Amino acid sequence: MTQSTGSAAATPARQRNRWNATDLGLIAVFAALVASSALIAAIPVAGMGVPITVQTLAVMLTGLALGPGRAFAAVGLYVLLGLAGLPIFSGGRAGLGVLAGPSAGYIIGFVVAATAAGWLTVLVLRRTAGRPGRLRAVLLFAAAMVSSIIFVHGLGILGMMVNAKLDLSKAFLVDLVFYPGDVIKNVLAVTIALALHKAFPDLLIRRIRSGAGAPAGTFAPHATVVHRP
Amino acid sequence: MSGHGFLLANYVPGSSLLHRAPLWLKFLLVVGCGMASFLIVDWAAAAAALAVMCSLFLLSGAGVSRLFRAVRPVLPVLAAIGLLQWWQLGGPTAARIVLNVLVCIVAASVLTATTAVQRLLDGVASLAKPFQRFGADPERFALTIAIMLRSIPFIAGAYSDVRDSARARGLERNPRALILPVFITTVAFARQTGDALAARGLGEADTEEHAPPTAPAAGYAVP
Repeated sequence: MTQSTGSAAATPARQRNRWNATDLGLIAVFAALVASSALIAAIPVAGMGVPITVQTLAVMLTGLALGPGRAFAAVGLYVLLGLAGLPIFSGGRAGLGVLAGPSAGYIIGFVVAATAAGWLTVLVLRRTAGRPGRLRAVLLFAAAMVSSIIFVHGLGILGMMVNAKLDLSKAFLVDLVFYPGDVIKNVLAVTIALALHKAFPDLLIRRIRSGAGAPAGTFAPHATVVHRP
Repeated sequence: MSGHGFLLANYVPGSSLLHRAPLWLKFLLVVGCGMASFLIVDWAAAAAALAVMCSLFLLSGAGVSRLFRAVRPVLPVLAAIGLLQWWQLGGPTAARIVLNVLVCIVAASVLTATTAVQRLLDGVASLAKPFQRFGADPERFALTIAIMLRSIPFIAGAYSDVRDSARARGLERNPRALILPVFITTVAFARQTGDALAARGLGEADTEEHAPPTAPAAGYAVP
């Protein structure tokens, strides 16, 4: 851990953008957000008998707020440290044993779903660049729903089939319980994501603009320098 | 704000053979149990494996109550699955499925009970080393892990602060009032952290010496 970073950065095979310090901060803190969302008590919702857990909300929001690359890093870091043995999975579970349990598919699904939601978010924000409004909210909700249905629920069902040896129809029925909560959480996630992008306009948008102009420019000063001459 | 207590939850200090075994060996044990759970088809073999793992766990001096605490979170789910499969597939198969999951969980608990969190995290950070040639940076990776760990108590504290203030305004059943301020705080905190890192020259990619191949270098060259 103490060795120099120069050689690592100098390696030629570097297709992806380099993240700057702010990106590292966002990745680390959003990973911590997902972890603490799994640890705190569930939140009671008016008009619903069951309180909702905030964890899947935090996972989808990471995608909606950070875009695909950083969301993958943040949720991936959370899962990696949980598997390494920090008690940060829901219910204080930890360690590689989780991969043998029936909820393994959901935990892997979080990483893929956050990435997919991030990718779709960039797409939606680009297409609706001039007209932020109801359309953008609806499209973002669709993006969150599609990624959670395909990846969280899809991999969750697969995990139950592999680990608990349930057949497809039973795993599907068990998984069905999570849908009402998921719809509510995705509505919440989209309203919160829109508020976040309003409060921090350069959270994702500026990355998109500079990304369109110069794929390797990761933060704005570079992009302006590029366009000046 | 809560402290770093969550970091100590599973580790039991000791000097048993398992405590002194290298991390990779214990990791192989866990992975081996994971593989075995797909190969074992006999419930008696699964029960024997479970007995071996439990005795390994007890050998480390962690005690029976900790063993129970390690498996307790999954017991209700496993009981439900066991009953369902007993009804569907018969006793021996149901027993094998449940026992195999328990083997994996106890094996993983052996690893976490006998390895200090710091060593586990060092192990995770060293995972990045083989990927150095593809542009991974172990130092930045370790830094990100450290920031994440330090942020968990802060965000957990933000949740309880926001919950208190929502309750004070009579909004304790309004999810937006309970969650949105936490996320705003989180992003602001992340950016402050990023600024603090940048101010110390930490965590930045080495853009001066190794500028990205496209635009920025050219932009600086032509003022």
